[in-house]
Amino acid sequence: MAQLSVPTVDYTQYSNRQLVAVPLALLAVALLVIGGWYLLTGAPANLGLEFVGGSEIRIDDPGDNAAQQIETAFSAQPDSVRQIAADDTYILTFSEGAVDTPDGGNQLSVLEQQAEAAGFSIQASSSVSPSFGANTQTIALGGVLVAFLGMSVLVFVMFRSIAPSVAVIASAFSDVVLPLAMMNLLGINLSLGTVAALLMLIGYSVDSDILLNNSILRESGDFYESTSRAMRTGVTMTLTSIAAMAVMTVAAYLFGIQIMTAIGIVLVVGLLADLMNTYLLNVSLLRWYVNRGVNA
Amino acid sequence: MIEKLKSNWRLTLLTVILLVSLFMIFSPTMAPQTNVGGENATTGDRLTNLQYGLDLAGGTRIRAPLIGMTAENVVIGNESPTNVAAAVANELPNSDTTDVTVRRGTINGPTVEAVDPNVSEAQFGEALGGAGYSYETIRDGLTQETRDEAINVIEGKVNQAGLSGASVQQVTDGTGFFILIEVPGQDRSDVIDLIEQRGNVRIDIYHDNNGDGEYVTERAVLTQDDFASISNARQPDDRSPNPRVPVSIRQENSIAETFQSSVVETGVAQPGGAVCRYEESPQNTDSCLQLVVDGDVINSFGMNGDLANSMRTGDWARSPSFVLTTTSFEEAQEIAINLRAGALPAPLAIDQGTTSFVSPTQGENFRTDSLIIGILAILTVSGVVFARYREPQVAAPMVLTAFSEVLILLGFAAYLGYPLDLSVIASFIAVLGTGVDDLVIIADGVMAEGDVSSNRVFSSRFKKAFWVIGVAAATTVIAMSPLAVLSLGDLRGFAIFTILGVLVGVFVTRPAYGDILRNLLTKR
Repeated sequence: MAQLSVPTVDYTQYSNRQLVAVPLALLAVALLVIGGWYLLTGAPANLGLEFVGGSEIRIDDPGDNAAQQIETAFSAQPDSVRQIAADDTYILTFSEGAVDTPDGGNQLSVLEQQAEAAGFSIQASSSVSPSFGANTQTIALGGVLVAFLGMSVLVFVMFRSIAPSVAVIASAFSDVVLPLAMMNLLGINLSLGTVAALLMLIGYSVDSDILLNNSILRESGDFYESTSRAMRTGVTMTLTSIAAMAVMTVAAYLFGIQIMTAIGIVLVVGLLADLMNTYLLNVSLLRWYVNRGVNA
Repeated sequence: MIEKLKSNWRLTLLTVILLVSLFMIFSPTMAPQTNVGGENATTGDRLTNLQYGLDLAGGTRIRAPLIGMTAENVVIGNESPTNVAAAVANELPNSDTTDVTVRRGTINGPTVEAVDPNVSEAQFGEALGGAGYSYETIRDGLTQETRDEAINVIEGKVNQAGLSGASVQQVTDGTGFFILIEVPGQDRSDVIDLIEQRGNVRIDIYHDNNGDGEYVTERAVLTQDDFASISNARQPDDRSPNPRVPVSIRQENSIAETFQSSVVETGVAQPGGAVCRYEESPQNTDSCLQLVVDGDVINSFGMNGDLANSMRTGDWARSPSFVLTTTSFEEAQEIAINLRAGALPAPLAIDQGTTSFVSPTQGENFRTDSLIIGILAILTVSGVVFARYREPQVAAPMVLTAFSEVLILLGFAAYLGYPLDLSVIASFIAVLGTGVDDLVIIADGVMAEGDVSSNRVFSSRFKKAFWVIGVAAATTVIAMSPLAVLSLGDLRGFAIFTILGVLVGVFVTRPAYGDILRNLLTKR
């Protein structure tokens, strides 16, 4: 059987500055990407159908010449066409207003009629109105902020000192920001599933940080001993989660289950970011905190 | 034996809860009650008591707001609501009394609601002023009473149309209210057709009785409430060439008599009956009865000689039955449903909400797919855990414990009758992930620094490990709670089951794993 052993890092070789440099640099790049996205597109990420409105329709594989058949069937060009090999279907998305609707009719209803007229059978369809989408945006943003604040307060109450709490919160912040920037770069749309995953990440990612803080601040042993003990446990559990999520992401992508793909991919990237943030950023902040009397 | 159960009470508790969960999932005695739609709800399967949501069973979900605004604390004195509504409707352009609702005794005092989408807030304010009523505020949205009424009407329509297992409820996103309609196994367009109309049915009379060549419409000689009974829609047969809905009119308050005299006065019941040619030559026709739904004329028809005679003699009002003819059977069915279920108190704005449809075959695919994904996730987690610990007696209980969390969640879902959908399945996998995380913390925490010789050492280490788990669980609960409270689309299930899973984990399964480890380690 394959053997999984958690590597030990010799932290004594690196100064706090060196350790902090990598995660902070990546965080800065991520913030630049998100900021740039906001300046260029007016939104911090590629907003998906659920946030800007639009229609989506999943049809059975039309057989030969699918691309051409799809093009002739609909009166508007789809924004995206994705083939789901696992069950021979195609998922098409249309932005809101892409199709002329007679006297205020529903865009998706028109698209469904066109699909049926072309002989496609409709496997699934959904529509979101732009006003509902805009509302969802506000709520999602509010939800993430509330969750983050709640987490911060809880961490402060639990540790009752500033530096360790800040270490956990900074690391959680970076865990959320890095996957967001990564999604922009990979061209993945922000959907409701992503928001759920970002919230989940706030909860998921802090446990390795809390474990580390707890081990260093509350248990016996010197700093490096405690760190490597926490790391053994923390890396194992994060890797386990990453493995589970990676499998879910790949399988859900192949089956064309979008909500699971979205949740999975954000958690994978976020947990990878968490490995880095916990064992570079958080460790060095704690080392500074523990040794602050020595160097002063 | 008892002693052993007692000292391992956490493990005992887990076993009991697991058995209860399995009972909930599989026992036929716990089979789900039928839903709003009545008889055979098709959303479950036969092997288990689990209910499947639309993602996994197929069907249509529509979430849409009701259109309208409400004036609060309107000073209406002792006037009857009907009079107030008529006065306000009179001041509004193109509005009927059906577009204005007046209520006393809501939490915001007497209210007046206007539901015509073409009326602006300013126009509504002016109309109230014009009719002589002062008010405190006008806000967007309707009263809870009106929303409840709308829900009842939609439930009625869905039931009348024979769609089983449907559910209609109110949800909020924190800024406004939406009506959420879920109909299993039904096409999106069928459901939209059924509910998008308000379904205000009335009878007008189109006539030129004073003979000056100018036709006028006498509106609303019969409205929704005037019908006493409504038969099923009939196909055309040898008794009548048209599809039709036989109805009878109420006799109390001389409703039937009033209608009878209107019909006679306007010349519909002229001697020998009337032949309506409204469609072909509206300027040259006998008087017509018009069937109007939501302001659109659906059909115009005359009256045969026999009926006209019995109306003229006044016999008809003693047994006032009557036939509404339509141009198609579908129309007749719609009319019958609308008359029975009543009219929506406000229009449902489907294009301001969301709709989604999953076909039954796709739902079945999703069901298999998500089962495969779940099994793959469990296998992956087991693989990693076995590779890390290499001791089956540590790793195997870990995997089993994490899996039992998922089983308990399924038990909850079966007990609550909560419909499983893709986001709930995703939460099971997330819970599996956090569950194993915490078990790793316990295992490492307890096994660190050599042997666990005594129960005392074990307990102190277990407590330390548990502190971390408790804080981590509290964070997850806090982080997910906004989603559980707000109705952010379909993610509520994800949040609710993640929170439930974390709680079950912290209070039941993870302590039980501690018991298992203690038995394994202190024996050595």
